[in-house]
Amino acid sequence: MNNLKLAWRNLWRNRRRTLITSASIFFAVFFALVMRSIQLGSYDHMYKNAIESYTGYIQVQHKDFWDEKIVDNTFAYDQHLEQQLLADKNVESTIPRFESFALASNGPQTKGVLVMGVDPEKEKHLSNVSDKMVKYRLSPEAIEKIQLDPDQPEKVKELAVLFENSAYTSNSRLQLDLGIDDKKASELMPAIEAHTASKNGSIHMGEPGVWVGDKLSQYLQLGIGDTIVLISQGYHATTAAGKYEIKGIVKIPLPDIDNKIVYLPLDICQGLFNAEGNLTSLALAVNDNGDKDIAQTVQRISALIPEDQRVMEWREMNEVMVSQMDADDKGGQIMLGILYLVIAFGVFGTVLMLTAERKREFGVLVAIGMQKKKLASIMTMEMLFIGLIGILAGALVASMVILYGVEHPIIFKGETAKIFEEYGMEPKMAFWNIDTYYIWQMVIVAFMVLLSIVYPMRKIFGMKVVNALRA
Amino acid sequence: MKVLEIKNVHKIYNSSEVKVHAVNDISLDFEKGEFAAIVGPSGSGKTTLLNMIGGLDTPTEGEIMVDNTNLARLKSSALIDFRMRNIGFVFQSYNLIPVLTAKENVEFIMSLQKWNKKEKDDRTFELLKAVGLEDRVNSRPSKLSGGQQQRVAVARALASKPKFVLADEPTANLDSKSTETLLDIMEELNKEEGITFIFSTHDARVVKKARRVITVEDGKVISDERKK
Repeated sequence: MNNLKLAWRNLWRNRRRTLITSASIFFAVFFALVMRSIQLGSYDHMYKNAIESYTGYIQVQHKDFWDEKIVDNTFAYDQHLEQQLLADKNVESTIPRFESFALASNGPQTKGVLVMGVDPEKEKHLSNVSDKMVKYRLSPEAIEKIQLDPDQPEKVKELAVLFENSAYTSNSRLQLDLGIDDKKASELMPAIEAHTASKNGSIHMGEPGVWVGDKLSQYLQLGIGDTIVLISQGYHATTAAGKYEIKGIVKIPLPDIDNKIVYLPLDICQGLFNAEGNLTSLALAVNDNGDKDIAQTVQRISALIPEDQRVMEWREMNEVMVSQMDADDKGGQIMLGILYLVIAFGVFGTVLMLTAERKREFGVLVAIGMQKKKLASIMTMEMLFIGLIGILAGALVASMVILYGVEHPIIFKGETAKIFEEYGMEPKMAFWNIDTYYIWQMVIVAFMVLLSIVYPMRKIFGMKVVNALRA
Repeated sequence: MKVLEIKNVHKIYNSSEVKVHAVNDISLDFEKGEFAAIVGPSGSGKTTLLNMIGGLDTPTEGEIMVDNTNLARLKSSALIDFRMRNIGFVFQSYNLIPVLTAKENVEFIMSLQKWNKKEKDDRTFELLKAVGLEDRVNSRPSKLSGGQQQRVAVARALASKPKFVLADEPTANLDSKSTETLLDIMEELNKEEGITFIFSTHDARVVKKARRVITVEDGKVISDERKK
């Protein structure tokens, strides 16, 4: 009878207890992995939104622009520098921008807005704003058409009212909010798409016209074809003012930006602020966006740029969000710690019972000739079996959930979605794929199980056989 | 041939206030092949004496020599090893390993001693046959009666051919019929294998079978009779 066989049989002498203990370890591993995957996935998603919709991974700016975002802190566009930057192995393209603030108004409504001068073609390499155009909107007129459509089910009509004025960049999200399943989509969606379609136009270099963020357009009660008036201070304290036709509405996945963004063609924007030829930033689209790659690229580029410019990376430009995510990450880790602690006490409780129950048996085994270290190794194997059953089962089930979640992120709708947006977040819960965090969670739980073995080890090695036999 | 020598052994328990002299200057010798019973009222010190003989407890004073080895001089792991090779135990509550079958329980000590499979199988079959359980080799203890479990325990104690077997109240939990059967088996094995049996008991039936009866009272031997 080898130790392994004896340990395995001991495991099943109290089947229910073994299963309950393994189940608690299973849940610890499962929840730890899924929670961590959602946490890391959500951070990544939010970072990507911020980076790809706004800042990019790296920007070259006037050295004072970040601290004082005025149009005087701009720099002249330099084609030679651009060529040098493009020669860097990690720089895919350069995206020139002119960014400032203005007062925007429509009738009695006025709001401070972020004016972003972009080259629509070059912007496709980074924020790809044209892909964020609002294609469908549940405007009051659209809802009325849906209500009058005899082919639409009552449920769709009710949900359409709930989502009044919501804007959509794809029909899939519209379909989701209206509760139409895939089977009925081909039957119902064409009519809904026709009722809700929004006709956006493009902006081009040299042609006046703007794209406005969806939330801003709603605040200012502006639609496509309306005119927006922008008033600000231009280069060297000149007056900057202009009125522009709204060519399109864009929905930026960062609600805070969506609430204030106005896109103009770069040259028109430079003209508005009397800063022709100047840029506030040159954003860089990169080939590899890993932390190490970015740091190395920043280092290389810093050596190329003139003294009045500086290179900033995405973490510096999204400092508030990074701090929020860090704080949230710490909070998540504390929650995981509490989860581990609860499970550790559960496992320890089992070990305590198991040791007390078998004290006499331990005494008999040592009395008849089993060395204490052999007995200890059998106990260790038993706990490792319990741990492994729970850990492997937990990891397996979590893997299935995570792999599914990576392909199908959870998208919130209705009131929950609105709450997310109120907190400045996209109502989407993404999963992070299986990665090193996976190993860590399993190692921590395994360590916890091993730690719980300390108690029976102490009991076995400190056992007085004669006392154990009396137990 | 002496297998066990007990020389002026004392055992004093020091509780917080009271000092208890559980074994008080006992000296005894046991020869190979003896079938001896240590009797006495509860609290007389017979179990304490048996525990010290088995190396499960240490004397406060005196020596216990098994085959010329002083048990008190052995370190913990060496003592466990010594017990495994030289002393068999039969407990009042049988104390078989619940997850092992009758055969595996008997084999257990032989496995610890790393006997080869054939030797183990032969010895196990021989012993289980001797205790009348050759048809229950694959039964776990929970499927055996008390008497059957104690017979397996006797087979286990004899498995590695120890110098002597210590049996602490082996019949206390058994009915008359099982007691008779068990005692007959032990007596027969004692004669066949020449292994010394030392019982601690209250049971008159055991005393009747024993060829030597040592009476202990208040930690002292008050009589040591050998039957003819």
